[in-house]
Amino acid sequence: MKKKLWLATGTIGLGLVLGACAGESGGGSSENGDATQISFMHWRGEDKAVLDEIIADFEEANPDIRVEQNIYPSDQYQATAQRMLQEGSTGDVFTSFPGAQFESIESAGFFEDLSGEEFISNFDESLITVGERDGTQYALPYQLVFNMPVYNKGMFDELGLEVPKSWTEFQEMADTLLENDITPIAFPGADIGPNQFMNSMMMNNAPDEDVFEKLQNGEESLTNEWWVKTLEDFKLLADKGYIQDNALGTNQDSAMAMVANEEAAMIATGSYHMASLIALNPDLELDLLAPITVEESEATYEGINTATFMLAVNSNSEKKDQAKAFIDYLSQPEVASKYANETGQHLTVNNVEYESKELKNTAYWIDERKTRFQPRFLITNAQIEGAVLSSIENVLGGEDPMAAAEAAQQIVDENRE
Amino acid sequence: MKTSKSIYLFFLPGLILYSLFFLYPTISALFYSFTDWDGLSAAFQFVGIDNYTRAFTGDSIFRKAIGNNLKFMLTVVVFQTLVALAFALIVIKNTKTNVFLRALYFFPTILSSVSVAFIWAFIYDPSMGILNQVLSLVGLDFLAQNWLGDANIAIYSLAVTQVWFHAGQMLIIFVAGLQAIPEELYEVAKIEGASKWQTFRAVTWPLLAPSATIVVAYTTIQSFKAFDLVFAMTGGGPNNSTEIIATYIYQVAFGSYQFGYASSISVIFMVIIALITYLQFKALRSDRVSY
Repeated sequence: MKKKLWLATGTIGLGLVLGACAGESGGGSSENGDATQISFMHWRGEDKAVLDEIIADFEEANPDIRVEQNIYPSDQYQATAQRMLQEGSTGDVFTSFPGAQFESIESAGFFEDLSGEEFISNFDESLITVGERDGTQYALPYQLVFNMPVYNKGMFDELGLEVPKSWTEFQEMADTLLENDITPIAFPGADIGPNQFMNSMMMNNAPDEDVFEKLQNGEESLTNEWWVKTLEDFKLLADKGYIQDNALGTNQDSAMAMVANEEAAMIATGSYHMASLIALNPDLELDLLAPITVEESEATYEGINTATFMLAVNSNSEKKDQAKAFIDYLSQPEVASKYANETGQHLTVNNVEYESKELKNTAYWIDERKTRFQPRFLITNAQIEGAVLSSIENVLGGEDPMAAAEAAQQIVDENRE
Repeated sequence: MKTSKSIYLFFLPGLILYSLFFLYPTISALFYSFTDWDGLSAAFQFVGIDNYTRAFTGDSIFRKAIGNNLKFMLTVVVFQTLVALAFALIVIKNTKTNVFLRALYFFPTILSSVSVAFIWAFIYDPSMGILNQVLSLVGLDFLAQNWLGDANIAIYSLAVTQVWFHAGQMLIIFVAGLQAIPEELYEVAKIEGASKWQTFRAVTWPLLAPSATIVVAYTTIQSFKAFDLVFAMTGGGPNNSTEIIATYIYQVAFGSYQFGYASSISVIFMVIIALITYLQFKALRSDRVSY
């Protein structure tokens, strides 16, 4: 009798523990009354409010579908999204970064083929190729980001500064700013600075868009001129005081504060910070400016773009039709316009009406300027990407550019597949 | 006899949980360490000892991470033990003030590591941070540093945060150990004319050895596993100068999707911790304490 009691107690106890575990890991998509609930997994916590409104409108138009947002911070998202998709309970609709994450999700087979879906025609054809592989459309980039410095246009006008068209002009502009006690570039080296600024710093030093693919297969080296010159240019920025002291200890919030307080003229991040800067200082007039690190006649590109926040359907989902219906809804011009204007983002959707001043002022970058897809996202091996970024940190920490390039190339060699 | 058999049932829930959450993952890690599993696909290949060979001969970041981890561990073990012991000696008596001070010193331990990381990242900020501003206010500008941005000192800045975070926890262990030392021994030392230092060296320290062993061993393991603090404060940068083994395992597994290789590093990591802990126990010889 006692034995049975112990067994029963043990079984119930274990059941409770395992039951609790199961309860915590569940959630996401489930049947909710007559409506089917789908999970929308993404990393844009700052967009939750506007997406809640859009979802409410979607649910009103589609009463048989409910959408739940599952949001993870972007750094965590890079690491956990694949696991969630594998499990299949979260992320019926999900977003992917281009580059390494897209590659790994694609090779794991978690993308549902979206080729042939009518809503594809709602997107700008030239901006969604990053979500395509071998003629199959796996994901549809929603946001169009310009990963290049944001500058204080009002300050430039006041000081009579023109947007520099060459490396010489860039240095003259920076000297003028320094003479006026203004730090030319606020560089958030503690977090996203290196991975954002490297793109525009190298875009004309290595105009070949396949340069990182060649680096990964051994045809190129970081000790070649294109990267050593890029590191030398970074060193020049640090040595001449064009970026603030202790840049490697500055995070993006501090760098934004420098620009908002007009202590610095530029922030080396991207267009996604414009709305936050305006919120910090509504008097700012902002535009985008990428350093041209060669002479004007040699410049191929004027800036960097990234089609990102790539919408996709989980191939493991049991609610693919509902998931596609939600992407279809997001790609409607009026819905996309609402999202664009309330989040301060340019989008890849056709016929979006931009209303905010900063979006209108910079919309010309979409089709009037020659921009290049973010080179960093073309590094598909995370270890090699880390080596490239470390070499920038190494130089900003005082290392000789060639020595930093050699150290990074050693890691590239160790990790080449 | 029946009672003695049924008593084993008490072990069952613990044994199942231990097997589920420790033994099974450990054995799995050992298994996958001999494969090229990417963590996502069902398929994988056995690669023999290739992952181990790579870790020891073809991965400079891993070797750097071991070096950083040793620097971090030694700094934390030495300073956390000394700080905790010094404070424990101050607050050993059970007065109201001392009870309050113990609670105060223990307070950081109850904070979440991410909160601690944010607080200290703000303190260390080179331009807006409190630390450099205070140094500047008291005329010690020359001591102001780029605490987390300078590759030469970033790992030590993290170690200071770790000491602040966990010293209170070790203080409680030391206080318990100190209070267990019989008062008569101090009386004898006093009668014999021993100085304070002699009393500490001949009475307090030897009898505190079991507590010190726990503190040192626990601090060592804790500093090897300081993943969250390091990840949230520096992410391993700048230039991998704060990359420790735990953050590197995470990066290899979840950044590069090389779960097989990450498993092999985890196994090496486990062996390193076991070895160091064993050596510490041998060195401190906690089992030889006698009155």
